[in-house]
Amino acid sequence: MCAPSSLSKKKALEQISQLLDSSIPSMTATAIFDALQSRERLGTTGFGDGIAIPHCRLKEVTEPKAALIRFSQAVDFDAMDQQPVDLVFVLLVPQDSNATHLAILADLAEQLEQQNLAQELRNTKDADELFNYFQSQ
Amino acid sequence: MIALNDQLILFAGLLFTISILASMISRRLGAPLLLVFLILGMFIGPEGLGISYTNLEHAHLVGSLALALILFDGGLSTQKQNFRVGLKPAVSLATVGVLLTAMIIGLLASWIFKLPLAYGLLFGAIVGSTDAAAVFSLLHTANLELKQRVGATLEIESGSNDPMAIFLTVLMIEWILMANSGFNMVLLLKFVQQMGLGALLGLAGGWLAMRVINRSQLSPGLYPLLAMSLALLIFGASATLGGSGFLSVYLAGIYLGNQKLQSASYIKRFHDGLAWLAQIVMFLMLGIMVIPSQVMALALPALLLALALIFIARPLAVVISLLPFRFAWREQAFISWVGLRGAVPIILAIFPALAGVNNSELFFNLAFFVVMVSLVLQGWTIPWAARLTKVEIPPRNQALQRMELDLPNQPDLELSGYRLTTDSPVVGKTWPELRLPKGAKLLFCLRGNGLMNVHEFTDLQCDDQLYFVCASNRLGELERKLFQQQLPSRLSERSFFGEFTINGNARLGELAMLYGFELADELQDCCLHDYLQQRFGQPVVGDSIKLGEIELVVRDMRMGQCTKVGLKLPH
Repeated sequence: MCAPSSLSKKKALEQISQLLDSSIPSMTATAIFDALQSRERLGTTGFGDGIAIPHCRLKEVTEPKAALIRFSQAVDFDAMDQQPVDLVFVLLVPQDSNATHLAILADLAEQLEQQNLAQELRNTKDADELFNYFQSQ
Repeated sequence: MIALNDQLILFAGLLFTISILASMISRRLGAPLLLVFLILGMFIGPEGLGISYTNLEHAHLVGSLALALILFDGGLSTQKQNFRVGLKPAVSLATVGVLLTAMIIGLLASWIFKLPLAYGLLFGAIVGSTDAAAVFSLLHTANLELKQRVGATLEIESGSNDPMAIFLTVLMIEWILMANSGFNMVLLLKFVQQMGLGALLGLAGGWLAMRVINRSQLSPGLYPLLAMSLALLIFGASATLGGSGFLSVYLAGIYLGNQKLQSASYIKRFHDGLAWLAQIVMFLMLGIMVIPSQVMALALPALLLALALIFIARPLAVVISLLPFRFAWREQAFISWVGLRGAVPIILAIFPALAGVNNSELFFNLAFFVVMVSLVLQGWTIPWAARLTKVEIPPRNQALQRMELDLPNQPDLELSGYRLTTDSPVVGKTWPELRLPKGAKLLFCLRGNGLMNVHEFTDLQCDDQLYFVCASNRLGELERKLFQQQLPSRLSERSFFGEFTINGNARLGELAMLYGFELADELQDCCLHDYLQQRFGQPVVGDSIKLGEIELVVRDMRMGQCTKVGLKLPH
């Protein structure tokens, strides 16, 4: 989806958690936020070039869940290249699906490394277009 | 007479100009520069243009002087952080390593040439040390950044092993001249005196030199000359008193290079140039001295010795010397390969002739051949060897200009300038978008002939020259930011350090849970930094370790602590 601007990394993660809340009935937004936040404490998931991939494993989810968010104003994610992040791809996977988790993550990273994909995603007008474009790739 | 002197100056000018311009050819061919000088010398020599030069006393003087200046400059540019990881292994290589190399080659030489053992060992000692000039120029000028453990070890080794080789050579000569009186305590004492006195006088001399330089009020152009004079003074005093002058001058250089020093940047730049001059003079001279046809007459056995040195003696010496330290086998392989021989063996090969040892010509020609083989075979292939053994890390040093700012009581700041190239990732971006690392500030931008301050331009264009003030320890970050794309893909940030970044204080247990790898119970609460310390002793940037499917690569070190670790996903 396309989100309005967030002020900080924490705010951004909160917004994301609220978004995901509806698709994971067994969890509250706060619990999702806590899980994402504790991953960020280990080190940033800012990926460089304005992209971040926050991810974590949750026992409450049964199959991998992902969300793509584009912020209209970039957020500082402490990325190594110091570049603020506007494209956020969240990935939540079940506790026990380790191999899948890493495979999806690696795949996603590889996809996003292509400069034009990120650029195209930034050029989409709204949430539907963003989703469709990503699906088509 | 006047006309002759004029011609001499003309000739000298021509020779130096050609030598210096030849460095461009060497860069294009990837050939070691020293080899180019040596060949140029042979070109001018008795079997080329026909100039002959046979004064051994002179050659010895010039060689020693040149070597002292090269070592002093090498010391000046050795950073003290390198001692943290490099000192102990380097000292082991410089002592045990040289001794082992000399013994192995000595036995082989006496067997191949049917020489008495003492003569063989003398030759072993002559080719025992790696070349400071060759290794320094490799480490400081080539566009090659090595893992600190490897780079620092090689650098300090090459600076400190010459005294050992010189000592062994002198010792063997004395042994031969005293004819069979055998080893005795006097020789051992002499070793202790050379090294002990050399080290002591070097450090004391460095301290004194710093006081003298910082207390004197001179016109700026004189400081570098003062430093040079003091270096020669330290060398001479130490050698006269029975210490190793080479060790002294190297240590004094290191001491001065890491202290607050008046006009430090002038002094360093001057000595950089001086070291170049010393190398050119020394290698040209050695090239002129040699008679190629005599060397070629020895080609086959000499080649055998050279190969034995490269493939047997050096690797064996490296592996044994590094046993107490934690070096990966790839790192040991690379250190073995960078056993570059250079001017020192050729200069040492003059010693037997000066002392009146029989067969002295054989030593000189043999040493010359071994050095040539080492320079061609090893010197030429170092970047390739670094890639193969995976000891290179993403390089820096793209600066057009760099200047240390000597501000009293301030952290180390540098002024550095860069020209943007078409493939720089920041070209086309607007200036406010450019997030600089903390501690870096843009001063101005030079576009064409126009000077603009930060408020006068918004977009960054190709060929813009940007000038920054930046904390010394943040320069790498700044340079990576400006030039990321220029690297070959295997060294790009993402493929080298991986996708994500983990903090050094992250708990291992949490990582294991997130990325699913097996972990012993006692390691659950261990933080990443401590774990890496356990594994590597002293981790350096580029050290990597596989945990389950993921790979962790040390990315940033601060004050001996590992602060950032890259995380590589399986691909």
